[in-house]
Amino acid sequence: MTTVTLTVNGQSVTQAIDPRTLLVQLLRENLRLTGTHVGCDTSQCGACVVHVNGVSVKSCTMLAAQCEGASVTTIEGIAQGGQLHPMQEAFREHHGLQCGYCTPGMIMSAIDIVNRKGTALDEETVRHELEGNICRCTGYHNIVKAVIAGAEAMAGGMRQAAE
Amino acid sequence: MAVTSIGARVVRKEDHRFITGKGQYTDDINRPGQAHAVFVRSPHAAATIRRIDTSAARSMPGVVAILTGEDLAADKIGGLICGWMIHSKDGSPMKAGAHPALAHGKVRYVGDHVAVVIAETVLQAKDAAEAVVVDYAVEKPVVDVASALAKGAPAVHAEAPDNRVFSWHLGDKAATDAAFAKARHVTALDIVNNRLIPNAMEPRAAVGDYDSGNDAFTLYTTSQNPHVARLVLSAFIGVAPEHKLRVIAPDVGGGFGSKIFIYAEETVCVWAAKKVGRPVKWTSDRTEAFLSDAHGRDHVTRAEMALDENGRILALRVNTKANLGAYLSTFASSVPTYLYAPLLSGQYDIPAIYAEVDGVYTHTAPVDAYRGAGRPEATFVVERLVEVAAREIGMDPARFRARNYIRKFPHQTPVIMAYDAGDYDASLKKALELADYKGFGRRKREAARRGKLRGIGFSSYIEACGIAPSAAVGSLGAGVGLWESAEVRVNPIGTVEVLTGSHSHGQGHETTFAQLVSDRLGIPIENVSIVHGDTDKVQMGMGTYGSRSGAVGMSAIAKALDKVIAKGKKVAAHVLEAAEGDIEFKDGKFSVAGTDRSAGFGDIALQAYIAHKFNGQELEPGLKEGAFYDPTNFTFPAGVHICELEVDPQTGDVTIEKWTAVDDFGVIINPLIVEGQVHGGIAQGVGQALHEGAVYDPATGQLVTASYMDYRMPRAEDLPSFVVDTTVTPCPSNPLGIKGCGEAGAIAAPAAVVNALTNAVGHEDVPMPATPQAMWRACRKAAQPLAAE
Amino acid sequence: MAFTMTGEVDLPADRQTVWEKLNDPEVLKASIPGCQELEKTSDTSFAAIVGLKIGPVKATFRGKVNLTDLKPPEGYRIEGEGDGGVAGFAKGGATVTLAPSETGTRLSYNVDAQIGGKLAQLGGRLVNGVAKKLADEFFANFARAVTGEGAASA
Repeated sequence: MTTVTLTVNGQSVTQAIDPRTLLVQLLRENLRLTGTHVGCDTSQCGACVVHVNGVSVKSCTMLAAQCEGASVTTIEGIAQGGQLHPMQEAFREHHGLQCGYCTPGMIMSAIDIVNRKGTALDEETVRHELEGNICRCTGYHNIVKAVIAGAEAMAGGMRQAAE
Repeated sequence: MAVTSIGARVVRKEDHRFITGKGQYTDDINRPGQAHAVFVRSPHAAATIRRIDTSAARSMPGVVAILTGEDLAADKIGGLICGWMIHSKDGSPMKAGAHPALAHGKVRYVGDHVAVVIAETVLQAKDAAEAVVVDYAVEKPVVDVASALAKGAPAVHAEAPDNRVFSWHLGDKAATDAAFAKARHVTALDIVNNRLIPNAMEPRAAVGDYDSGNDAFTLYTTSQNPHVARLVLSAFIGVAPEHKLRVIAPDVGGGFGSKIFIYAEETVCVWAAKKVGRPVKWTSDRTEAFLSDAHGRDHVTRAEMALDENGRILALRVNTKANLGAYLSTFASSVPTYLYAPLLSGQYDIPAIYAEVDGVYTHTAPVDAYRGAGRPEATFVVERLVEVAAREIGMDPARFRARNYIRKFPHQTPVIMAYDAGDYDASLKKALELADYKGFGRRKREAARRGKLRGIGFSSYIEACGIAPSAAVGSLGAGVGLWESAEVRVNPIGTVEVLTGSHSHGQGHETTFAQLVSDRLGIPIENVSIVHGDTDKVQMGMGTYGSRSGAVGMSAIAKALDKVIAKGKKVAAHVLEAAEGDIEFKDGKFSVAGTDRSAGFGDIALQAYIAHKFNGQELEPGLKEGAFYDPTNFTFPAGVHICELEVDPQTGDVTIEKWTAVDDFGVIINPLIVEGQVHGGIAQGVGQALHEGAVYDPATGQLVTASYMDYRMPRAEDLPSFVVDTTVTPCPSNPLGIKGCGEAGAIAAPAAVVNALTNAVGHEDVPMPATPQAMWRACRKAAQPLAAE
Repeated sequence: MAFTMTGEVDLPADRQTVWEKLNDPEVLKASIPGCQELEKTSDTSFAAIVGLKIGPVKATFRGKVNLTDLKPPEGYRIEGEGDGGVAGFAKGGATVTLAPSETGTRLSYNVDAQIGGKLAQLGGRLVNGVAKKLADEFFANFARAVTGEGAASA
């Protein structure tokens, strides 16, 4: 067993873990943050995407022990004070989800895309950037719409924050 | 708050929990004291088990138990079943071998379940599973229908020595042969409908729990139909009687058919929970899912179409060999028979049809229903034949289709179906306009200048949904009825719970079903909850597949709502002191005809429960009604999809430039959700056409496409945004006029893509999946395609 | 899934020496990549433990190796099968032929092999490359053993 200390959704946690434990297992099994999902074992599907120090990471391919001292944000941690994140709102508004299983990873990836590519996104960019996230239900049509709209809403939020 | 009507584009009520990570999927459920199961699976496609040595594994850390097929047999746990009896041409019943939940003596495909290791943690169970030593005598496998049917091929099951499970047929052979004899032109095609792996994003999972105090079991499982799971586990497999077995299918992350079936793993988890005295949880990893989820499609077909001198279809003759895998899964036998051949008339008036289908055992994973189930295979046959026939006689494929469309309804086809309503010309006309078919020649020339081969392809599909009257499916061999149930519970303050036997795993029932209630009762949608997926709450149901939840599940709700309103009128008659016949119900109000006296729905609900205003001996207190709805016919959604794409002859890469879909789903409850269903269906159909294919190594039976590295799933960049529209002819066969929309895209799309690809390269030799490699070859084979312009 | 591979390698030693080394468990153990144990169980059979990594699958194979068709000093057929537990299995054989050459001995090999289970499911695409690499490593090691360099590095 080894001990790891990290911040998850703003709260400091220390856990004794088997060194083989993956970040996603720590989140799901130890912390019961079951919003982060496992959809494959080969880092292909993106259902497990979380942010580690503000950058999107597939939590099924990162050891929990590698997260010592890191700040991890999961789908459970992006709504602020009861207010949904604009990207969450956009997915609902545009029917960007059906079964909901890929959705947490999609939303976390989408926020990361906005962080990297800005808030004015075109369809081509979004489709390309979603390469690491598989959805079996939606055909991506409404996910793409949701990401573009969510990015615009994030721009609005940033403007407000700046004022 | 306002009423949400049928037809309103409302966002989904269930989304809040999914976008905040609060969904409750089976793997999110943890029971106190739970142990974890890992299955030891066969690495061989065909072998006799000489010995299973669990001694080393048993002493490993954390191991609770290791159970094998012998333990199952000792507890008299029965095998998995196939619930649809097919009779061969000669009248003999299908030849089915036993399907034990843990192998008994033999393994028959890579991934077959040999033993289960139960340990304190998943990692410990995995470690111990590695230490289970199985001594196999390896045998030669057969993985495709041709080798399985070859003379002297090894038999997968002794019960079917030539590997033929059934040799079935439908239609009038003599009339069909006669039509071919007088045909002016015959179009013939050899078609391979590629094997697919459904790949719902949530892998299957099960948690079995046993309460020794009450001798009662609970199974949490990824099921599309928990009641059917309970019925099979109870009546056939014998785990526990129904009243002692609760099956809960919580949030389920997609199914597409693969979660209809009753599998070995959930059977073992619920049985083992009592055996080890602990809750037992199993969660599939993705490679296990590839190996052990029921696969789809896998047909090899010879198809012929006979035409007269005017380009009218005279007859269709089809011979299909369907790969059923190593065991018959729950509904395996129905898919290539009654869900396939009755659809071979398509949207066309075809006087004679004859289909022969052989169901074939192979040493591969079981094959069963996958989105569309038989209907995509039929549509692919019909729509490829139609397209090629049009090309061969030099007629525009849109015109050829229109020439042969059915225009009078009801229409009896020569293969069982009686189409009730449709307007195929309307869909075609709208699709041609939206796709700018007239401008295609110009776009093709423009593409040629850029060195690209542009193609356009149609698919004028029909499907049969909802499934049919129970008595009718029973006469065709089904082991169950295909009705649906609903119970509407009105609370004293007028809020409503609807208990439904349908199950939502992405379809949005919590929204659409609530919309129906809001519309009918005139109450806000917020005041309605939909309850599903728990056999202790919902009494009985048949679940969700076959695009049936709208047409059948909602019809049951509508029927129960009618009863609620009728009862409400009786209560209102007392409250408003009027004759029951004078009470009207409209916009959420009971009123006395011709007066201004009225009472709101909530007021009447309260009166029904306090029962002060009527004699409880004459009128029962309370407001709760149930209904079972048995469909009167299949429903027949139909439409036209047009795919326009470009092939890069240098690389074989395909880009879908435009997708136009015009579907007739009858009455639509929520267009937002219906469009989403169409989008997803198209993506899966495009996946079949361009990317996806399960590949077994022919010599060894190893599945070599067992991860997302080798099984190519459609990704965002592979697809365009879709142009989706509808036409509406209400379905006359159910009270809501709904036809169903869940499978349409997956049924329509493959033929549209391949028709576009063959149009682009100028010949018909394009396989599915049309990977870049396959298309590069097809381009090489193409005879001067650019010069033709 | 099954695959085949052929190749040849020139060794700077006479045929009899190469033949003897090919039958020497210590040389074989030092030459087989990942070989942890190789025990002679009879004149023509060995019990082996070999650790291998193919793509994402890492496994320890326990198995047996048999020598058949022995034609000293012209060659033999070496066959083996190993069980890697959950990782799957590997089995196969190689016909090895020794012929005198200008520089010593030309060793030709003709391998046919099968893999199954996780190895095939996840590592299938990589197997040909890995097999080639393993063969190259084996013969590089074996060449060192034949020329006596192996002793120095071992």
